[in-house]
Amino acid sequence: MDALIAASARALAVGDPLGALQRVALRDDPAALALRGIAMAQLGEHARARELLRRAARAFGAHEELGRARCVLAEAEVALAMRDLGGGTRGLVAAAATLERLGDPANAMQARLVAARQALLLGRLADAARTLHDVDAAGLPSALAAVADLARAELALRQLQSRVAAAALEKAARAASRAGIPALIAEVAEARSALTRTAARRLSRDGAEPLALPDVEAVLASGALVLDACRRGLAAGGAWVSLARRPILFSLASSLAQAWPEDVARDALIVSAFRTRHHDETHRARLRVEMGRLRALLQPMAAIESTPRGFVLRPRTANEVVVLAPPIEGEQAAVLALLSDGAAWSTSALALTLDASQRTVQRAIADLEADGQVHAIGQARARRWLARPLVDFTTVLLLPASLPGA
Amino acid sequence: MPATSTSAPTAHPASYPAPQPAEIVREFGPFPGAASVGGVSYDGSHVWAATGGLLLAIDPRSGEVTRTLHNAGHAGTAFDGKHLWQIVETRIEKLDAATGAVLASIPAPAKGGDSGLTWAEGSLWVGDHRGRKIHQIDPATGAIRRTIESNRFVTGVTWVDGEFWHGTWEAEESELRRIDPQNGDVLQRVQMPAGTNVSGLESDGGNLFYCGGGGTGKVRAVRRPKATA
Repeated sequence: MDALIAASARALAVGDPLGALQRVALRDDPAALALRGIAMAQLGEHARARELLRRAARAFGAHEELGRARCVLAEAEVALAMRDLGGGTRGLVAAAATLERLGDPANAMQARLVAARQALLLGRLADAARTLHDVDAAGLPSALAAVADLARAELALRQLQSRVAAAALEKAARAASRAGIPALIAEVAEARSALTRTAARRLSRDGAEPLALPDVEAVLASGALVLDACRRGLAAGGAWVSLARRPILFSLASSLAQAWPEDVARDALIVSAFRTRHHDETHRARLRVEMGRLRALLQPMAAIESTPRGFVLRPRTANEVVVLAPPIEGEQAAVLALLSDGAAWSTSALALTLDASQRTVQRAIADLEADGQVHAIGQARARRWLARPLVDFTTVLLLPASLPGA
Repeated sequence: MPATSTSAPTAHPASYPAPQPAEIVREFGPFPGAASVGGVSYDGSHVWAATGGLLLAIDPRSGEVTRTLHNAGHAGTAFDGKHLWQIVETRIEKLDAATGAVLASIPAPAKGGDSGLTWAEGSLWVGDHRGRKIHQIDPATGAIRRTIESNRFVTGVTWVDGEFWHGTWEAEESELRRIDPQNGDVLQRVQMPAGTNVSGLESDGGNLFYCGGGGTGKVRAVRRPKATA
């Protein structure tokens, strides 16, 4: 490392990106380009940062693998901050292996964390879990350990494991306070409040009771047959039947669950599921067909029996039926509730599931996007929507302390 | 006599002598407040290490830091028998070794791309890191007297017993190399163990080299091998 690179890296490490830039502004050697890129990222100039980091990666010689891998990592962090998630994680995983092999374990872990967070953002929970499994928090600097635990907490929240999430957040809080980074401490506090906020409402004849995430889990673990209108499906004893893309079946199941233990009249089912008041014999035939499909899907957890005037739900082992609804009413809440499964939804899939027009869904999405609660990936017909991550920690660029030749 | 050689070393790398493994005798540090070492020197009794914001004098017998100067120092430290010389950003500062007061400042030849500094026979010798060169300069003005080419990144330079050595650190490999100061031919190579990098090099005038350990914040003492050529 030469004198100006050392001086510039020192400036970056103490949080003086302008001082860092000033020292290498006119230099185009790879180490200087990398420092300029990181300084730009810290200043929020993400597009410029990315361009500089790409140039730096190219400018490092073929044998300067470490410098190159660090640039790939920094560029991935910038892409994450820009929510540009189209690139995939293959380059990042390769960079992690290179960093590991060449004796830079902290940046190798950082690369894995970035890959895990990218997978979380894309709703690829299994990928995220696999990558996080390889992150060993024990050897990490405090700031990184906090980010690792935040990512674990988010994964657990998405998987409805609030106890695991709470434990991870506890650890994240300790690590964040050791690191002494205010933005990180605030992130952890915000994430912890997610555990106590209303996650769903339990509907009954007496009204709606707000439930926090641990209460939702308790309901799901209680052995009851749960109609979950947030994720649009039915749960019983750990089993899950998703009706998210079957709006008519969901509507029927919903009516039966809300009426339980009473039955529901055929006419009422036709009115709510098919949205028509003027029904005839063809609707009755259609109801029989749909009910047959629902019966087949619910077979392991409940029976649907005919009664003189309609149908009734009979749980197989559960002695209770519980109905969970999204925390607030309205299209926006319903869209958010669906997106909270972590998957990437298209507008048309959302409209189909909610049995609403695409226009209605687009309006709801536009409002949510303006609030920063959802974001898009992809363009045009490939465009998909994702909910804002439960925790949205700032990027912690590690590189300054360990630049090429440091 | 001013003379500049701009041609690359004539000898092909394949003809270089085989490397000998480095014998690391001792490690010092890392020291509190000094995350990385960017330059080392030796004043006859203490090893000096430039660590960014501090210049540390280390007693090589005890390994303790006996003095600390609050001077910026980024890459390359030298001792001329009386003063310390230190590369700071784009310049070389001449320091009062007792107080750290800056007595003079000259421009560094690689304009901030410099790494490695030593004093010999009335000249300063400065490494040009990515330029893979070593400049001999006038300590009064900074004017370049002569340039030697290397084919590796230069991270430290030192003279001992008429031998000219430079440290290199490139592609995660580090060596100490004795080169012919006339034409840059590689005469002897001492290979550091994998992952042990050299940022800054100084001889103790005897049979030891002191090597800066970059981001590890360490200073290592390496045995100087017998001359082979």
